Amino acid sequence: MGTKQKYSTVGKRVPKLDAIDKATGRAQYIQDVKLPGMLYGKILYSKYPHARIVNIDTSKAEKLSGVRVVLTGEDIPNIRMGVYKDNPPLKAGKVRSYRDEVAAVAATEPEIAKKAIDLIEVTYEALPSVFDPITAMQPDAPLVHENHKTNILKMPWKLHYGDVETARKEAAHVVEKQFTTTWVTHCCLGTSGAIADFDNNNNLTIHTNTQIPSLAQKDFQETLKALGIPDKRVRVIKPVIGGGFGSKLDTYAYEHVAILLAWHARRAVKVLFDREEEFVATSTRQPTIIDIAMGCDTEGRLMFRDINMVLDNGAYTSWGVTTPSVMMMPITSLYRVPNVRYQAKCVYTNNTYAQAMRGYGNPQATFAIESAMDILAEAAGIDRLEIRRINSNQPGDETPQGFKITTCGLPECINAVEKVLDIEKPKTKGEGIGIASLIHVGGGARIYKSDGCGAIIKLDDFGKADVFTGASDMGQGADTVIAQIVAEQLGLEVEDIHVIHQDTDICPWDVGAHASRTTFVAGNAALGAAKKIRSRILELGAELMGITQTKLDLRNRHVVAQDEPEKTMPIGKLLRKAHFSHGGTMMMADFFYDPANENMGRDFRGNLSMTYAFGTHGVRLKVDEETGKVEILDYVAAHDVGRAINPMLLDGQVHGGVMMGVGYALTEQVILEKGRNMNPDFRDYKILTAKDAIPLTPVVIETIDPDGPYGAKGIGEPGCVPTAPAIANAIYDAIGVRILDLPITPERVLAEIKKKKGVDSCGIDPLTEKEQPC
Amino acid sequence: MKTFSYLVPKTLDEAVSLFESHSDRVMYVAGGTDVMVKTKQGKIAPDYLISLKHLSDLDKVKMNPDTNELIIGALATHRTLETSTLIRRQFPIIHDAVQHIGSTQIRNVATIGGNIVNAVPSADGAIPLIALDGVAKMYGPNGERTVDLIHFFEGPGQTVLEAGEILTEIIIPSQSSHTGGAYQKVGRRAAMELPLIGVGIVLTLEPDSAVCQKARICLGVAAPTPLRTLSAERFLTGKVLNEDILIEAGNIAAEESRVRDSIRGQAWYRREMVSVFVRRMGLKCLKRIEETN
Repeated sequence: MGTKQKYSTVGKRVPKLDAIDKATGRAQYIQDVKLPGMLYGKILYSKYPHARIVNIDTSKAEKLSGVRVVLTGEDIPNIRMGVYKDNPPLKAGKVRSYRDEVAAVAATEPEIAKKAIDLIEVTYEALPSVFDPITAMQPDAPLVHENHKTNILKMPWKLHYGDVETARKEAAHVVEKQFTTTWVTHCCLGTSGAIADFDNNNNLTIHTNTQIPSLAQKDFQETLKALGIPDKRVRVIKPVIGGGFGSKLDTYAYEHVAILLAWHARRAVKVLFDREEEFVATSTRQPTIIDIAMGCDTEGRLMFRDINMVLDNGAYTSWGVTTPSVMMMPITSLYRVPNVRYQAKCVYTNNTYAQAMRGYGNPQATFAIESAMDILAEAAGIDRLEIRRINSNQPGDETPQGFKITTCGLPECINAVEKVLDIEKPKTKGEGIGIASLIHVGGGARIYKSDGCGAIIKLDDFGKADVFTGASDMGQGADTVIAQIVAEQLGLEVEDIHVIHQDTDICPWDVGAHASRTTFVAGNAALGAAKKIRSRILELGAELMGITQTKLDLRNRHVVAQDEPEKTMPIGKLLRKAHFSHGGTMMMADFFYDPANENMGRDFRGNLSMTYAFGTHGVRLKVDEETGKVEILDYVAAHDVGRAINPMLLDGQVHGGVMMGVGYALTEQVILEKGRNMNPDFRDYKILTAKDAIPLTPVVIETIDPDGPYGAKGIGEPGCVPTAPAIANAIYDAIGVRILDLPITPERVLAEIKKKKGVDSCGIDPLTEKEQPC
Repeated sequence: MKTFSYLVPKTLDEAVSLFESHSDRVMYVAGGTDVMVKTKQGKIAPDYLISLKHLSDLDKVKMNPDTNELIIGALATHRTLETSTLIRRQFPIIHDAVQHIGSTQIRNVATIGGNIVNAVPSADGAIPLIALDGVAKMYGPNGERTVDLIHFFEGPGQTVLEAGEILTEIIIPSQSSHTGGAYQKVGRRAAMELPLIGVGIVLTLEPDSAVCQKARICLGVAAPTPLRTLSAERFLTGKVLNEDILIEAGNIAAEESRVRDSIRGQAWYRREMVSVFVRRMGLKCLKRIEETN
């Protein structure tokens, strides 16, 4: 777009500020944090997916030398976690899933805590369980929460814009399919953990891996209130976080358990997950059953989209239950579609419960929508790219849900994929090409009453800035981007900027690291504060240098006269003059940025985000028709990012997102058998490895959004959104079989190939995929 | 993790006598990629670990010039085998297998002997060695003995090793000319992967014809222990080899396999993969024979 050159830091490939610390082991993760006299907590989990707790005998554990506290659900006050307040940190009376926390201990050594857990004897009385949301909706299904009367959660996920029935009758082509997606998990390399510590006035300091320091404060305060100590201070300190991806968007039982143990022990208590616990006791993406109908006219213009969805909520309710609110975004607004209907039911089962995960429902919805787009294109006899172009969102559109599309690079993304992937290149046998697009919020999202973030900037005597931000850097590089924005405004170098985001006692408020909002919202907050400082430096510079303020600029750590380059003053010198003078001044500024995003109304209409991010992915792959194995030969990911503030970090987000998406598409699944996690380790949970990295070309489309900081949009989540449907579409293109279920394992592909050929080789029933006697 | 004493003998005799003096509270350890994981998980809790890493010469891979046998020291790491020119040139089937075990980091420390001694049904390090008619050499309180590698395994985690015995070498007998081997691991990702199935084939042709003189078809993860599909081998022997014959051999081998369902994969799919890869590896053997002659 030609505006890049005038910036000195924005638009540069600046390596992550903490990269060397992380590579050399200097970075302090929760694993590294140790407080004096700290005890170690451990949690006992349920042995049943659904059972009454008849008795818990903790006497042996209590007698073990080194054990300081043993707690069960009976010992704690009424604390309820989660959006539906249905989840106590320790369960009393009954358990509803294998991950239910039944008891906890604190001991002087981790080994003693582990031993003590094994000494707790729990007598269960098994109850009938339900693991499938369809069964769970039946009137005679076992109730996961008896007092809830039904397993169907009372959530309002239902919208209808326009007239779907009439549009359906009038549509020239209609497709109808059912898609399913299963559990996958975030696989943060840094496992979860927390240290709770009370001072003598019962104020709490908690060191914890969280994406929501300010909101977590409130959750923890409620626990203190339940303990009979209301109105106490809660300080949340974040260590370096080894990955979030949405997993840290709620508070978890282990954090509240750490608080409860610390309260009873009067000592700091650390609860730290091992890898198995990380798999078993943190939450997943929501499994879905998606029925989609979609139709277009003879020209290929979309006329309606009609989606019915069932989500497996699991035994308790975290943010997973609200993902339909984000699924609405692609359902109503990916491509122009005038008539839309959507309904989602979230259903209690005795499975693990779901949470937020990168994309927040968007990957599931987009899998169904973009797979169906290809099916519809074929039915209508229209080229797959063409149907997407015909229906592409355009700047100035307002979607049925009331999203106001400002900048929109979707047509450019489609063109870029076509060109870079060289779609017309001849294909060998078994080769295919697939594409899929995405829409996501790009300017934050008003999920809560506020979508705000604060920033404070303070300058020292030497031209160095401390930036206190509400943003949470959990590996995505928020600190680096914020440093670039501030450096750009103040004419400083990135290394002059120190970003502090770790501590709620020091940092300003923020609603959390979600909805790909950090660059946009925290970036704008930092930009706002930096602009204030900039104008004060210029003001003072004008005074000291005797040059009109409008003729001054900040460059290379200097105040410079634009027209007289020889007239400069080091910013450090200016700052010393500001501080060391009578009636001096302090260069400090704060800014609170809350974008003009709207809450969705009761009808779910509202301009959720000031801007929207778009993207198109294209993949060339080869299917081995004898093994069903898919090999990705080439992948192009084009994203409308507004502006790439840091192209290196942007590439990282796209590479990481796509690899997460490829795993979602092809290999990853949490295997639950009757509620039990069968693959709680990286050996059998098939996250892709560095060796599986695919040839990937990220394409950056800059639309310079007028509301973004330097024109940027959020790009944290989009990378993993359209990957699965792009791959599914390419498989269809390659061999003519349509896979409707994730992950697309070689078994599924081979079974579909056989089904298509009608071959029953060596006794496999191609329809049920079950083995028959040979 | 339970603590243990770590003993570092310099000779085999020293190792064996250390073992005997600590009786049942002791274990041998080589690379430690299995022993340490199990110890950390609390699945085993030895008081003493006897390291075999410093026994001289047992980490070598070499040809015996007199017998033309390949001697693989049990302490050779997978990485040693992977990067050995000798292995890559003369025994590509071994290279096929070792290069995909674990990750580079694991291959740097994990030993071929450890892989074999562990005897887990999903370990595939032994498959090519069995296909090459490898012989296991052991040393223990009663001295030295050998057993054909195919008979080394008695069940999951069970081998013929007696208390205190150490697997010292795998001996690959001299290979006839016109012999080619190939191995394929079938997995879901490119590293850190246990195979769904492993197929190792070694074929020897009569000189100047395509008639099969000897066939070895060895499967990993197709039964509780490595499995030679003898009917398929017999089927190939004496036949002029071509793709159709290999397809048939694949089907026979698939029927002979004793695959089962697990969370890692379904039996029907494993069986399918046996027939697919017996054919493909058979063809690869023929290609390698052609290339070397």
